[in-house]
Amino acid sequence: MDWQALILSLQLAGATLAVLLPLGLWLGRWLARTRFAGKALVEALVVLPLVLPPTVLGYYLLVSLGGASPLGRWAAETLDLRLTFSFTGLVVASVIFNVPFIVQPVQRAFEAIPRGLTEAAAVSGLGIWQTWRRVEMPLAWPGVLSAVVLTFVHTMGEFGVVLMVGGSIPGETRTIAISIYDRVQAFDLAAADRMALLLLVLSLGAVTMSFFASARLAARR
Amino acid sequence: MTLHVEVEQVAPTPLAGAFRCEDGELLALVGPSGAGKTSMLRVLAGLTRPQRGRVVVGEAVWFDTASGVFLPPQRRRVGLVFQDYALMPHLSALENVSLPLLHLAPPARERQAREWLDRVRLSAAQQNRRPADLSGGEQQRVAVARALARAPRLMLLDEPFSAVDQMNRQGLYQLLADLRRDMAIPIVLVTHDLHEAAMLADRLVVMDAGHVLQQGPPAAIHRAPRNARVADLVGIQNRFQGRWIGPSAREGWGLLQWCADAGTAVDPDRLPLLTVRDKRRIDAGQAVHWVLAGDAITLLERPPQGAGEFGAVVSEARPLGEITLLALALDAVPGVTLRLTLSGPQRRQVEVGARVTACVDLGLVHVMPVRGR
Repeated sequence: MDWQALILSLQLAGATLAVLLPLGLWLGRWLARTRFAGKALVEALVVLPLVLPPTVLGYYLLVSLGGASPLGRWAAETLDLRLTFSFTGLVVASVIFNVPFIVQPVQRAFEAIPRGLTEAAAVSGLGIWQTWRRVEMPLAWPGVLSAVVLTFVHTMGEFGVVLMVGGSIPGETRTIAISIYDRVQAFDLAAADRMALLLLVLSLGAVTMSFFASARLAARR
Repeated sequence: MTLHVEVEQVAPTPLAGAFRCEDGELLALVGPSGAGKTSMLRVLAGLTRPQRGRVVVGEAVWFDTASGVFLPPQRRRVGLVFQDYALMPHLSALENVSLPLLHLAPPARERQAREWLDRVRLSAAQQNRRPADLSGGEQQRVAVARALARAPRLMLLDEPFSAVDQMNRQGLYQLLADLRRDMAIPIVLVTHDLHEAAMLADRLVVMDAGHVLQQGPPAAIHRAPRNARVADLVGIQNRFQGRWIGPSAREGWGLLQWCADAGTAVDPDRLPLLTVRDKRRIDAGQAVHWVLAGDAITLLERPPQGAGEFGAVVSEARPLGEITLLALALDAVPGVTLRLTLSGPQRRQVEVGARVTACVDLGLVHVMPVRGR
């Protein structure tokens, strides 16, 4: 069992959520509430990481984040950060490939709140933040919860993009999914077995829990 | 705190009209669905911003395109009871009514919310329930309490009777009557039920296709609708075709020829001429519509004698509870049906096929041009 890889995966999933959750809440709610020309394109861009082969996404990330790219150079010179083959680079890539996993459920959750309720809140004198806190979030919460769980589990298991952008540097970019692959390559099937089972149980448990919680929350309404 | 409203909008949907509503007055916006009643209510609440107009409550200007003022709903002190109540499903009745009271400390907030819920007669147990565990009528009372908790300067109700059964309606009428007595603020309600509007409202504003067609006390609109469309919208059944002949020998009165509906072949010389009030609005020879309120017709059991009395046969008699709806086929104008409501002992004497005399109070005939507002 590669404990280092497991801890790294957990850290990556946590860091991804820390960046992506505020962004996803804002973007999902905005897409749910606003109509504008070109909305279809924005929604397509949000879903793109879901339908693109991970190697294609990984390739473009590698090219656009690498030291030769303007972004990579700027990060290296200004922030002293390497965006490829580093943990920071993995977080950036992970945030991008998880966008659909968080934005879509959040958007659906906000879309399901009847317009009349937010209007009733406004007529009752509630400002934007009070409406958000007392009306929208309590109603959207099951959707947000499942978005969080999906993103977390998906980050734990992502392979293609992580390998392309991060490689397999122990303690830096070798996540548990990469470690499983390495163990299989080295014919260490016993270790691969244990880690694969752990990931399976973790994923199934998390998704089951989120469904259970959503159903409970939905029933309370 | 008189409410003054002026709205003018062409797009996205037409909405135009002006009206006012005094303190303690109940104004009903009436019209068919799609007439713009709810749109008008949303303009008053600040949920939509029309292209041009003015909304003023007392001294407070809520909306004025001329001076660029638009207050959002949060700054309007308006109580709005939504058609579907729009109660927060995750909050109890008490928490729903607490929403407009967030500026108060929690103990004061709860005390006031309970007072409002007591006032709409919701029991302590019901106050702690969520909307899903309350009946439709109870939900509506929570919505009314929430609107009142805002300490509104203007109360708005969107189709308050549409989803409430007959028993709860009586309670709602009582609640509205109490409100008017205690609050002394303008109350505007939207309804498509003319009967209810006429019963409750001091003023009607008749709307159609986004435009205010006419406004005034219900009785005045029923007596003298501005045009045929208004007559239809307020449910006047006795609307007929005619031709304005011109002034009569009697000062202030004119001659109206009663015409059969289009498609009925009648000799024009044999159609009756009525002497009715002349408001000098109509040119001689013009085709007109004219209406007759149901209470302008009485039944006599003798042959017709003189002006305003017409021989007829009862073509329909429908008993409805304590009244009977009657349709009479007139001898003088083939194809024309006169409708009236009978109550009291007279009901027993009419049956289909009976010969009667309809006595029309010609002073109550109201003549309108065929076109124009």
